[in-house]
Amino acid sequence: MTRRPTWQIVLRYALVLIVVGLFTFPTYWMVTMAFKPKVEWSTAHGTIYWVPQNPTLENFETVLTEYRGKFFRANQSSALPSIRSSIIVSIGGTLFALLIGTLAAYGLSRFSVDTGDLPWYIALGRLALLILVLLPFMVLWAWLGIIRYWYGILSFTLLGIGADQLIGRLLALYYRGPTGSLAFSILQLRMFPPMAIVIPVMIMWSAFKLIDTWYGLVAVYGVVTFPFVVWLMKSFFDEIPRELDEAAIVDGASNWGAFFKVVLPLAKGGLASTALFVFILNWSDFLIALLLTTRDWPTIPVFLNSLVSSEIGAQHGPKAALGLLAVIPPVVFGILIQRYLVRGLTFGAIKR
Amino acid sequence: MANIRLENVSKRFGRVTALQSVNLEIHHGEFFCVLGPPGAGKTTLLRLIVGLEKPDEGTIYIDGDPVNDVHPRDRDIAMIFQNLALYPDKTVFDNIAFPLRERKMAAEEIRARVAQVARMLHIEHLLERKPGKLSGGERQRVAIARALVRTPRAYLMDEPLANLDALLRLEMRIELKRLQEQLNETLVYVTSDQVEAMSMADRIAVLYKGVVQQCDTPDNVYNLPANRRVATIVGSPPMNFLTCQVQRMDGQLHLVHSGFGFQVVGSDHPLWDCLCRALPAVREVLVGVRPEDIRLYPERPTEVIAFPARVAVSEPLGAETIVDVQLGRDIIKVITPPTQYFAEKQEVWVAFDMAKVHVMDAQTGERIYTTGAPEQLQCILPGTCA
Repeated sequence: MTRRPTWQIVLRYALVLIVVGLFTFPTYWMVTMAFKPKVEWSTAHGTIYWVPQNPTLENFETVLTEYRGKFFRANQSSALPSIRSSIIVSIGGTLFALLIGTLAAYGLSRFSVDTGDLPWYIALGRLALLILVLLPFMVLWAWLGIIRYWYGILSFTLLGIGADQLIGRLLALYYRGPTGSLAFSILQLRMFPPMAIVIPVMIMWSAFKLIDTWYGLVAVYGVVTFPFVVWLMKSFFDEIPRELDEAAIVDGASNWGAFFKVVLPLAKGGLASTALFVFILNWSDFLIALLLTTRDWPTIPVFLNSLVSSEIGAQHGPKAALGLLAVIPPVVFGILIQRYLVRGLTFGAIKR
Repeated sequence: MANIRLENVSKRFGRVTALQSVNLEIHHGEFFCVLGPPGAGKTTLLRLIVGLEKPDEGTIYIDGDPVNDVHPRDRDIAMIFQNLALYPDKTVFDNIAFPLRERKMAAEEIRARVAQVARMLHIEHLLERKPGKLSGGERQRVAIARALVRTPRAYLMDEPLANLDALLRLEMRIELKRLQEQLNETLVYVTSDQVEAMSMADRIAVLYKGVVQQCDTPDNVYNLPANRRVATIVGSPPMNFLTCQVQRMDGQLHLVHSGFGFQVVGSDHPLWDCLCRALPAVREVLVGVRPEDIRLYPERPTEVIAFPARVAVSEPLGAETIVDVQLGRDIIKVITPPTQYFAEKQEVWVAFDMAKVHVMDAQTGERIYTTGAPEQLQCILPGTCA
């Protein structure tokens, strides 16, 4: 083996350093800015302070107390309600998604009746047909003026489900092969850009009076992260040999007993990592919370956005301080479940 | 305590037929083996009995009650899976205790029963360990313990020894046999190893492509195989088959092979009857002879009629030597004592034990007749017949 030329090694480490710098510098800037007094974090004086000259906790104080300054600020309250809100809706959404997602994943892993791969033209064609069928009804509902009310939305949703079933049946008459895949449909939920679905959701939620409630946000977070839970947990369940559930059933457990006493304990590593992943998604969401909350339940990202005062514009120092606080829960959660993130829990279960 | 009866049971998976109208009756206290090559439907049979699959047709009875719609947990039958399916995150104690806990037994009694079973199988010292830390044989015992502890109505085992090394398999075979005699419970044992089936079973069902070919005692399965399949599956190396033409001339009945021939002696012979009745349709038969019922002579023997042949390959196994011999157009396998040595291409003389010759229909493979005494069928040299 020949030794690489020195310049190649140097170049390689230089590139690594640049990339590492690009990734860590924003974090460094946030951490230091959180401890800088206003003169240092604002650019009013035209000087840049790379390290805090006079470290202070005043940014934390600003953010954690009600605003009493003489200048106008977009949001007068302290960050504490938004922290409480973030914690409640993120954990709630995560639990909701885990509850329905894990059960769905187990069902798809063990009892799925879908066979074969769904061709893309069937998957997309079915969706296009559905939209085509529903469009005239949407116009009709709008003309009747009921689309903005809960009964209009509910009836339209039921109509959509019925139309989808009908299209599936009709397709099955003329096409031999799979005409639908539940697992794929669940994944399809994630294929729309969030911006495309969040506005209709906002209209629906306002009709259902769910705007600016914690349970309204929990429901949306649960549904939006549900596909991730299903697909991640399905892969974990697929790795657990089916004989284990069957052995439990033969040994006298019910189907639910086999799931809760044998399968789920084996998948707890997967469950923990899925929970962390989903929690981070919910915790860092801005768009949904921005549109679905107003006064009572804004989350941390929404609150951050409102840290703007007429005195100086965006309050970068307090923003950095709150950002630093917001990093803590995911990191603590990650450290707590670290030992579950190790794979290979099923090792030794089965002789291959 | 259980009689298990399968009546006309069929099971299909999509277009694949796993089992085809299976009729079996397994008696109480019987060591019942299901023998067959991989893919014969053996595991499906067990899964149907335990209730993990539902039959498409037919009925399964346990002690006379139809159980088609009974949930596995209520059938009270223990099953040992091929991969054992021990719960990897539970200790050995918890593994064995699992069925008892599912039955809501008192903790005190669970401890007592687990201890008793552990003592019986010599795994008391392993109770605190997890399955991952056990050797293959120890895991095997834990799986058996988990089945034993609940005292079920019957035990089902799916190739339990397939994953063990040869020496351990020998040991466990004896132990299982002894255990079954001790328990005197119904045991359905699935295996693809004919030695296991022959050595342990009270009765064997030979399964091939989802069809029960024969269900009988090991003795009968070996000595009176129902058809060509059974003769191939039971016995190692498998039975040799020689395709013979049936010829009738001058009031004689001949079975003519490219290397030799047989003459059926006496027209009152049952074989004569069978062949004559079938003659216009059946022009060909298979003459089956087991490798252990053939002898090789380096020189032409005088006391028996032998046919000239040529050695193709010789495989010394220590206790015996398997010699492949080219006889006419067919190659037959012969088991010879290791004291005899045959070189490749050597000229030898082949003699059959005429008391153990099977005649089978070449088309269907069904056994037509098996000779019981040497004088019923006589060897003749190729030259002496047409």
